Amino acid sequence: MVHHSELLNDPDFRRLLRRRSRLRWGLSGLLVTAYLSYGLAGLYLAEVLGRRFLGSAITWSLLLGYGIILLGIACSIYYVWQVNRIIAPLQKRLAREYG
Amino acid sequence: MNTGVNVIAVWVFAAFVFVSLLVTYWAARRTRTAGDFYTAGSKITDLQNGLALAGDFMSAATFLGLTGLAFIGGVDALLFAIGGTVGWAVILFIFADRLRNLGRYTFADVVAFRLHPEKLRVLAAVGTLTVAIPYLIAQMVGAGGLFQALFDMSYALAVCIVGTLMTVYVALGGMLATTWVQVIKAVLLLIGGSALAVLALIPFGFDLGDMFSRAAGIHPFGEGILAPGGLYSDPISVVSLALAFIGGTAGLPHILMRFFTVPDARQARKSIGYAVVFIGYFMGLTVIIGFAAIVLLAGETQYVDESGRIAGGANMTAVYLARQVGGEAFFGFIAAVAFATILAVVSGILISASASVAHDLYTRVIRRGQISDRHEVRISRIATVVIGATAIGLSIMFRNLNIGVISALVLAIAASVNFPMLILALFWRNLTTRGAIAGGTTGLVVVVVLTILSPTIWVDVLGHQHAIYPYAYPTLFSMSIAFAVTIGVSIADRSRRAGLDRNAYPAQLVRSEIGQSI
Repeated sequence: MVHHSELLNDPDFRRLLRRRSRLRWGLSGLLVTAYLSYGLAGLYLAEVLGRRFLGSAITWSLLLGYGIILLGIACSIYYVWQVNRIIAPLQKRLAREYG
Repeated sequence: MNTGVNVIAVWVFAAFVFVSLLVTYWAARRTRTAGDFYTAGSKITDLQNGLALAGDFMSAATFLGLTGLAFIGGVDALLFAIGGTVGWAVILFIFADRLRNLGRYTFADVVAFRLHPEKLRVLAAVGTLTVAIPYLIAQMVGAGGLFQALFDMSYALAVCIVGTLMTVYVALGGMLATTWVQVIKAVLLLIGGSALAVLALIPFGFDLGDMFSRAAGIHPFGEGILAPGGLYSDPISVVSLALAFIGGTAGLPHILMRFFTVPDARQARKSIGYAVVFIGYFMGLTVIIGFAAIVLLAGETQYVDESGRIAGGANMTAVYLARQVGGEAFFGFIAAVAFATILAVVSGILISASASVAHDLYTRVIRRGQISDRHEVRISRIATVVIGATAIGLSIMFRNLNIGVISALVLAIAASVNFPMLILALFWRNLTTRGAIAGGTTGLVVVVVLTILSPTIWVDVLGHQHAIYPYAYPTLFSMSIAFAVTIGVSIADRSRRAGLDRNAYPAQLVRSEIGQSI
């Protein structure tokens, strides 16, 4: 248990938790907000979303819908990349030091 | 549609069954320990597991159902495609690492980490089996109906073929066979879906704008299919759908079990990253296929009646389109892929149910871990055969089951029982055993009661005038109530066990973030 309190107060562990939380809840919040806003906008702003984008046959509704799918894919790739790049090295160091 | 026997479909399907049985034979020789049986020895690679995860999610219902929804309701079908992609991305952010670091075989390992192990395993087993068994039966009933429509095969025969094959894969080959069957099917489905999209876009010269304009010119909603409002008109349903996709998917036991088939958290992360890409691509593509069908099936009287409805139900849209643009051979290929899809999905669900009975209930609760590895594997195989046989029997008895209602019910249970329990166990120090059990039980009861009081049962089945609960989906309310009860009871819990539960959180936090105990 001594080890625990030491590790829990290690600045690197605090940094790991902080960075991970920011990524985890930030990206989740972004995507869920985008999804719910899109769904609810469909109920209250249907007329606006039904307008054509730059005179093409593609409506805002189609464009934004596919945009959110691409955003979801982009956020996932970003998350994996960030965790591998920043968080994994911290984990490795802490595991070596306290393990 | 009565087409007689499509030779290509039979050959493609026979080839799939032959290869999958070879895989099962190969896997059976490598399945000796409980770890081999439940998680393929945690030796699956990230790309393989990403395909298998996407395969678990891309069921026949997703592919055929989503094409049909786009055909009927236009752009609102995108809400499902977005839901799948966003739901999986959120699972990646919230669950991937912590779950893999804490668990071994099932998600029950994770909730039992610091809470009362036996009580939580029983609760997790209830959450697993109330999801897995109805889901298994819904898929098999769907398979029976689909085969009847496609091949003129008798319903009972179709159910028996699917049920027997899945039982053979799982009982003999365990997770290794289940994973490879899922990987092969996912590749076939991705190829089949992409080929169908390409063939369907050739008549438009790959001009999406032209396709959307012509679809709007033909569809009864007119320009309305390019604007929202085709499928949804109230905010409660939209929010419930979103919660079902996020909480429901994250609470499906057969998907959570896959997190443990890879060696470590790094591979788990990458595999779910792959899954998000495959799912986003495939579901986005499926909506386009549905739009193309609006134009290409219009006026084809063998598929569509005068009012624009698809013969045999909207789920047949994709297979009819395959025949229209690719002829008999391609139609046969897509039909066989749909068959393979159901087979792979039911195998995944079956192994999660068997693991719950054999590992969580028998080995951990009844025998308190005091049995040999060989004994546990034998029990798992017996559980697989018993659950498989039961599912075949129930599917033949309840052939008129409303699959849509059961699927919604299952997702609601996953979102209201398993999801709150997991997320609070992982992230909220104050969660106690008593809180988890009170919240999980309440969630289950509320889902069942609201489903009975909803229009689909209260009005359509029981024949009352008005539904007491006016919405089709219970998730928004049942999930909120489950969270509220879990949190309230945990805070009020002053028992000795509650102290143990809370004090063990730091050790869990360290292990879930670092990947090893300190």
